[in-house]
Amino acid sequence: MPPIIEVQNLVKEFRTFRRREGVLGALQNLFVREYMTVHAVDHISFSIEPGEMVGYIGANGAGKSTTIKILTGILSPTGGRVVSNGFVPYRERRHYTKHIGVVFGQRTQLWWDIAVIESFKLLKEIYEISDQDYQQRLDVFSEILNLKEYLHTPVRKLSLGERMRCDLAASLLHNPPVLFLDEPTIGLDVVAKERIREFLKEINRTEGTTVLLTTHDLSDIEELSRRIVIIDKGRILFDGDLEQMKARLAKYNQVKFFLKDRSQVPRLAQIETDGIVCQRVDDLTYVIRFDRGEHSSANVIRQIVNTLQVRDLLVEEEPIEEIVKRIYLSGEVI
Amino acid sequence: MAPPGIAIAVPNNRYSPAFARTARLCLAFARVGFVNTLAFRLRYVTGIVTYFIYVSVYYFIWKAIYEHSASIEGFDFAHLLTYIGVGWIIRSFYFNTIDQDLAYQVIEGRLAMDLIKPVNIQLMYVSRAAGESVFRLALLTIPTALVLFLVYPLRLPAGFGHAGAFFVSVILSFLIVAAINFAVGTFALRLQSILGLMRAKFFLLELFSGLLLPMTFFPHIFQKILSVMPFEYISYVPMLIYLGKLNGGGLARAIGIQIFWVVILMAIGDGLWRWSTRKVIIQGG
Repeated sequence: MPPIIEVQNLVKEFRTFRRREGVLGALQNLFVREYMTVHAVDHISFSIEPGEMVGYIGANGAGKSTTIKILTGILSPTGGRVVSNGFVPYRERRHYTKHIGVVFGQRTQLWWDIAVIESFKLLKEIYEISDQDYQQRLDVFSEILNLKEYLHTPVRKLSLGERMRCDLAASLLHNPPVLFLDEPTIGLDVVAKERIREFLKEINRTEGTTVLLTTHDLSDIEELSRRIVIIDKGRILFDGDLEQMKARLAKYNQVKFFLKDRSQVPRLAQIETDGIVCQRVDDLTYVIRFDRGEHSSANVIRQIVNTLQVRDLLVEEEPIEEIVKRIYLSGEVI
Repeated sequence: MAPPGIAIAVPNNRYSPAFARTARLCLAFARVGFVNTLAFRLRYVTGIVTYFIYVSVYYFIWKAIYEHSASIEGFDFAHLLTYIGVGWIIRSFYFNTIDQDLAYQVIEGRLAMDLIKPVNIQLMYVSRAAGESVFRLALLTIPTALVLFLVYPLRLPAGFGHAGAFFVSVILSFLIVAAINFAVGTFALRLQSILGLMRAKFFLLELFSGLLLPMTFFPHIFQKILSVMPFEYISYVPMLIYLGKLNGGGLARAIGIQIFWVVILMAIGDGLWRWSTRKVIIQGG
């Protein structure tokens, strides 16, 4: 099957003018403007297969939202090629938007002062959803997202989590083949996040909806998508399988252990050889972080249990946040 | 790989004529406008008082003016009072805040939410405003009319035919104002703040629509210039119909010109919208 979204050499430049400081500068600004070009997106290419769930991550200002805006047709690129679902989004926006779902986490597409159900009814007309499809999807969504109690509440009275669930349902009422989510879990509590993730998984499984989501919460990606695209300063630094990324880029492992009692503390020094350092967490809990290339977990554990009396011991992989942080900091394509 | 049951864009082959579809959509938007206004119904209590005060002020001003003459520019006092009173009554129906709605949409950064919807934006805003107007008709226009007709000696329409034509004409007034407001609102996309523009438009409409005084009271050359503009078709023309000063061919022609302006102004609005969104699409919201 051909890819459902194809992006080739996408470029987006913004021209902003540099504001000078002070009164004189402000006056100068009136007459002579000094422009500078910002490359929000700088030659990006990727393609997404139908039914894929892709996590798109990057620091603030990395170009995530710009990409999503181009893909949803509300921003035109400076250069490059975009085809999504058979459309060139920014050229055929009005037809194209019939076939996509969009959620911007920071905004709502629901009408602020009217009950949620009224917004849904309006969307039914906008997207020309048949009575039967509408009723069926509304039932399913209300069930999974637990919307029933809010349907008759005006949107302005909903909490962020409730609103987000309604927005998500709204974006999927017309069963679009592609769903774009820009920070769908921003500001949500753990339970609300969990519910939204479950819902997305369910929709992806049953309807085969292709999902592209941006997020700052890497646990979203771990829960939802196998594929991760990391962007920084407008360029893609990594595009691939999440597990592969971990296997290739996780540098450190750590062993956390809990001492039996305080009498063991003086003996910690005995295992601190070969560049192994014990970090104190609390009186009885310590962590050893080591390079996977230089030490094996088995050796480290052996040394610990041979030297110390421990109550418990845990081996942990380097958290994905750490790996991603390293990728951002290095700023190099991997 | 693609899981089973994959959804691909399928052209909508459910046949329904474009007109019926558009009408349904307009109705749905009007409904939202109606329901939305329901949330602010208390506002209209003060509205009735405000309109009453306006008309009262004009009553005393014109009464003083008419002390010295029985008829000015073809209007006797009873006619003029009806012209002003009913003029304000219909204003409570045809006015709308589409320009302001668009301005807020831009200021609050919600424009993207309009852009991701597969609809004609002007149709959406105008229909919603129509829903609001229907709501105001019940809560503001009719109560205001009752109060004013009880307190002041306003005249009834010239006849049944004129009443019917007047009704059609006022609906067209609404569409003209809506189209003008939409066109003004689109400038918010490029200018960010259109407060000044909105104020200018407000005074332009108050004066040149014939709300404050009939067009025949203006200098002759002014009248000529204004007659080729859409403004006097908002208030002056429906009021002439109401008073029975337009008949037969003249009446039909006036309504025809109203329709002409609705079509032209809406086309301009559509063009402006496209021109403005192009910039947003290039530069970002």
